[in-house]
Amino acid sequence: MDVTVMQDAIPVNKKRRMNKVSIPVEILFHLIMIAFCLLCIVPFVFVVVISFTAQESIRSIGYSFTPLAYSLDAYNYILKLGTQLWRSYFNSFFITAVGTFFSMLVTIMYSYALFRTDFKFRGFFNFFCFFTMLFGGGLAPTYVMCKTVLGLSDSYAAIIIPMLLNPFNIIVMRTFFITSIPRELIDAAFIDGSGEYSTLFRIIIPISKPGIATVSLLTALAYWNEWFIPMLYVRDAKFIPLQYLLMQMQTKVDFLVKNSGVIGAEASSIMSSLPADSLKMALVVLIVVPIAFAYPFFQKYIISGLTIGSVKG
Amino acid sequence: MKRKLLSCVLAASMVMSMAACGSSGETSAPAEPEAAEEVQEETTEEAGETTEEVAEEAEEAQEETEVSASDLEPVTLKMYFHGSNVTDDSAVLEKVNEYLTEKLNCTLEPIWGTWGDFDTNAVLALQGGDDVDIYFTCSWSADEYNKFARDGYWVRLDDPDNNLIEQYGKDLWNLLPEVLTNGAKVSGADGVGTYAVPGYKDIATQNCWDVNVDRLTELGYTVDDVKAMDYYSMGDMLQAAKDKYGKDFYPLLVEGAVLERMVDNVTIVTGDSGTGNFMSYYINPDDVSAEGAYGNKIVNKFATDEFKKFAEKTREYYEAGYIDPAMGNAQQANDTRSQKQLSGEYLIGTQSYSLGYELQASQERGIEVAMVPCTDPYVDTTSSQGAMMAISTASQNPERAMMFLNLLNTDPYLMTLLNYGVEDVHYTKDADGLVTFTDKRAEYQPWTNGVGNVTILPPTADQGADFWDGFKAYYGAAKEIPILGYAYDSSEMETQMGAVANVVAEYMLPLCTGTVDPDEKLPEFLDKLEANGINDVLDDANAQLDAFMSAK
Amino acid sequence: MGLETAENKGTKKEKRQLLTSKNSKTLLLTTMVLPGAIWFFLLRYVPMAGIVLAFKNYKVYTKKPTFWNNLIHSKWVGFKNFEFLFKTTDSRIYIRNTLVYNICWIILGLVVSVAFAIILNELTKKFLAKFYQTLMFFPYFLSWVVASYFVLAFLDPTRGLIDNYLISHGKDAIDWYNQAGYWPVILTLCNVWKNTGYSTILYLAAITGIDPTLYEAAEIDGAGKWQQIKNITLPAIRPMISILLIMNVGKIFNSDFGLFFTVPMNSGSLFSTTQVIDTYIYRVMTATNNIGMSTAGSIMQNLVGFVFIVVANRIVRKIDEDSSLF
Repeated sequence: MDVTVMQDAIPVNKKRRMNKVSIPVEILFHLIMIAFCLLCIVPFVFVVVISFTAQESIRSIGYSFTPLAYSLDAYNYILKLGTQLWRSYFNSFFITAVGTFFSMLVTIMYSYALFRTDFKFRGFFNFFCFFTMLFGGGLAPTYVMCKTVLGLSDSYAAIIIPMLLNPFNIIVMRTFFITSIPRELIDAAFIDGSGEYSTLFRIIIPISKPGIATVSLLTALAYWNEWFIPMLYVRDAKFIPLQYLLMQMQTKVDFLVKNSGVIGAEASSIMSSLPADSLKMALVVLIVVPIAFAYPFFQKYIISGLTIGSVKG
Repeated sequence: MKRKLLSCVLAASMVMSMAACGSSGETSAPAEPEAAEEVQEETTEEAGETTEEVAEEAEEAQEETEVSASDLEPVTLKMYFHGSNVTDDSAVLEKVNEYLTEKLNCTLEPIWGTWGDFDTNAVLALQGGDDVDIYFTCSWSADEYNKFARDGYWVRLDDPDNNLIEQYGKDLWNLLPEVLTNGAKVSGADGVGTYAVPGYKDIATQNCWDVNVDRLTELGYTVDDVKAMDYYSMGDMLQAAKDKYGKDFYPLLVEGAVLERMVDNVTIVTGDSGTGNFMSYYINPDDVSAEGAYGNKIVNKFATDEFKKFAEKTREYYEAGYIDPAMGNAQQANDTRSQKQLSGEYLIGTQSYSLGYELQASQERGIEVAMVPCTDPYVDTTSSQGAMMAISTASQNPERAMMFLNLLNTDPYLMTLLNYGVEDVHYTKDADGLVTFTDKRAEYQPWTNGVGNVTILPPTADQGADFWDGFKAYYGAAKEIPILGYAYDSSEMETQMGAVANVVAEYMLPLCTGTVDPDEKLPEFLDKLEANGINDVLDDANAQLDAFMSAK
Repeated sequence: MGLETAENKGTKKEKRQLLTSKNSKTLLLTTMVLPGAIWFFLLRYVPMAGIVLAFKNYKVYTKKPTFWNNLIHSKWVGFKNFEFLFKTTDSRIYIRNTLVYNICWIILGLVVSVAFAIILNELTKKFLAKFYQTLMFFPYFLSWVVASYFVLAFLDPTRGLIDNYLISHGKDAIDWYNQAGYWPVILTLCNVWKNTGYSTILYLAAITGIDPTLYEAAEIDGAGKWQQIKNITLPAIRPMISILLIMNVGKIFNSDFGLFFTVPMNSGSLFSTTQVIDTYIYRVMTATNNIGMSTAGSIMQNLVGFVFIVVANRIVRKIDEDSSLF
């Protein structure tokens, strides 16, 4: 059961040539894609432009693609954040990496067992997972469970564990297994005397790369973008991830806006001392860029699935 | 294969051990997935830490008993602050705890809530029964003082069976002005009483016209002209500004809700803050302590003739281009407003005032700002409950917490230390005792008014030497409105409150900024309010008010 | 199932062997789900006790105020906490908006992302396909707050790009944030913009998992591209389509708060087309801050989702047993 041999056996280039769409259609496809991608990337360009916009320009003409004046103030200010910034950057990477690893491990094992039609408790555990998508206890009881009962506070574990599993990912992962793994493969491995864990880790995981890469990407994104969980369970600035640093600024503004009527004059003066919009945008850039660069890494495995599809025979 | 299996089990146990680390309250070292030794290492490490700490604690305890003659048990008090911006409190805490150990044999563990996270986190901590001893609370935060007192979250401080104020807080109570102690008396879970220590800060409300004097002078008007005007006679001046500065200049910079309160002489009624303050108590603009136009009655703000007149005028101003259309949607209004303030792009605006704000605003905006008051300053429930400290019923040491609050609010050393930081580190004092902050202050900025009695702080150089005298005089002279202390208890009307909140959110701001036509929208608005039970709410509120007034 | 047939064919000795191995298999597979199951139990099932909050008037049990004590000692109030969802003139509007937007977006999202996934898969220049896919994902990184600034740059009544264009061409400016009629289109565009990249990648990954020899065989049989898509691609990704569909249907009474609250700048005049259940509940909560009511709200959402999901699952199971969720 050697998958790599199988992979080499498929004449990739030949297939492509044989099976492509006509040139006008392909051009049309490219046009559609270019149009949509422009729509997707322009807002980000906009964010980058704002991050380099001088505050006076925002004050007088608002956000604009063509500001009156540019400045590096936002980035200078961020660099002055110094240790906290790098610390948060590190935290974001660390939480994402470790969190994704554990999350994927648990997710894969869980969904693999669900994928196995011959697993005795399949129905039960399937429902056990699925049901949590439908009903939840709400914020307060979950908070009490995590903080008081499990004692999750002020640690990396307090950020990683509360979002370790997502039933959606388990179900998607299971569906990937269903679509891409032939049942015969499991039986064959079983006859070869392969144990359950070794079947999973030696055979199934290597040929499920597209699915795993996809779900890992979603998981990594979830960890990278999370700010609510850190807000609930982390008080120590040591553990604060980048996204929360940004959200802190945003939630502060939102709160003051909501309550400016009662906090009165003080709210106005606090508002005026809050970080400028260009700073927020600069942080957005800092947050988006790493994960955007990480994306092709996941994508490599997603696309490489093209060549590994077949394991029959 | 076995190796793989083993590593899986290890990884799984890793997850568990991480959970376990968390639960022991320790900070777990970053977990590396593959290494089995690490697990062991970590466990031993942790065990080491724990023993070390126990030893340390024992040592500390010994020291404490030596130092302090009092026979108090050593405790740690957790205190939840609001609005702080603190990244490094180690230097301050060292001094604070040294002092507190000596005085009360306790240490302080502050939780620095920020504007952004306090509402969610403090409420969760309260609902979840966290072991926090003291919480910031007030009339506008999510752990709203009156409601949380009713629901049993706060310890009653003047409980006849265990009167903490009598026993441990007398100094503090003697120091506070009567409006504050009166305003703090509410009906809570253990009867009518005091459930929190009010902070002595800017305790009065005064709405003012915020005038850009630079532009005003350019137009040939004076501040006295503005004083002589009212909202309805401002049209000519606004038109002059529009003519002079062009089409993109919006002279009237308003915060819809505040504008309405200023023009109609309405105060906020505590208890409906989440519903856009649809309840109105009309005050008497000439004498705020006398009954207003509608007597001691709470009315539906939007159904009055005053409101109709106001909305029509505002619509006229809006259509004439005096008001920026951005003011009509909640999210954008404040951003735009503070930007225009900072760049001086306005002629006249609205502002709820606190003493000395015109100087601060002039400095920030680089223009001369004058504040023209609409009424005398007055004290209402919302402003008297503007910043308070309550002891949680989940606290193990309410007595010590009260002693601490007493000390904090009466002891200038402790208050200054906790509020301004360490002298010569976070601030310096000049020969006259005026405070100037250093760069280090950026790392330690609690919200000054949220810490407690600010009048025992040394004045800052900006404030000037006699600031606190002026402060006490200004706020001391503020009059009580007739219904001071009244807070609406909406617990029987929550369904209606929710429905009304949505209707108010839909119509109020557009009407108060003129972005929609009142002839068309106001009747629609009133119908919807009625259909959603606003009258039930008002009847309930007035019944409570009558009961309150007769008990007063 | 396969094993049972093998069992019947085997001799007694083999049968016993298989039986023990079957037990150990069950055991091993159970150890695989165990970490996840424990997590679900602790972090999802135990907190579900909090559901009773919806039927209680949550007050502090002052003698020993822990969460569970408070919960147990609070008074039962029946369905009172649910009333706010229906005793309002707004309920018709927010229910209509929530359901209609969701139904339209589920269908639209499905069509667009499957189409995009197929297009990306068909492009011959793989590096371009990769490039497009990366770009497509960008909106997913930007929060709605950031996106709302962007929308504002276009729609701002005084300095927006569109209104400036209209005015410079002698037309009247449109007051976007006060004209509810435009918002169904704006919100739909925003939704497609933000979520297409995410679901496209799920479908694309499913398509790339398809055995390429199937296409080769079809090619030899003379099947055109369209027929290949119809007969191979779509059937192969059918489980993914139906699973995502079912799960989206389960969220039919939920809505993206940021999209409906932040992007329209919380403008009151737009409520007739932007008020959905989550914004409605949020606004109620700012007024009452009652934990029982917010729990009741989410239970209501879950219940509706549950009914829809069971129905959808039943329909899918009728069509194709393998693709159903449970």
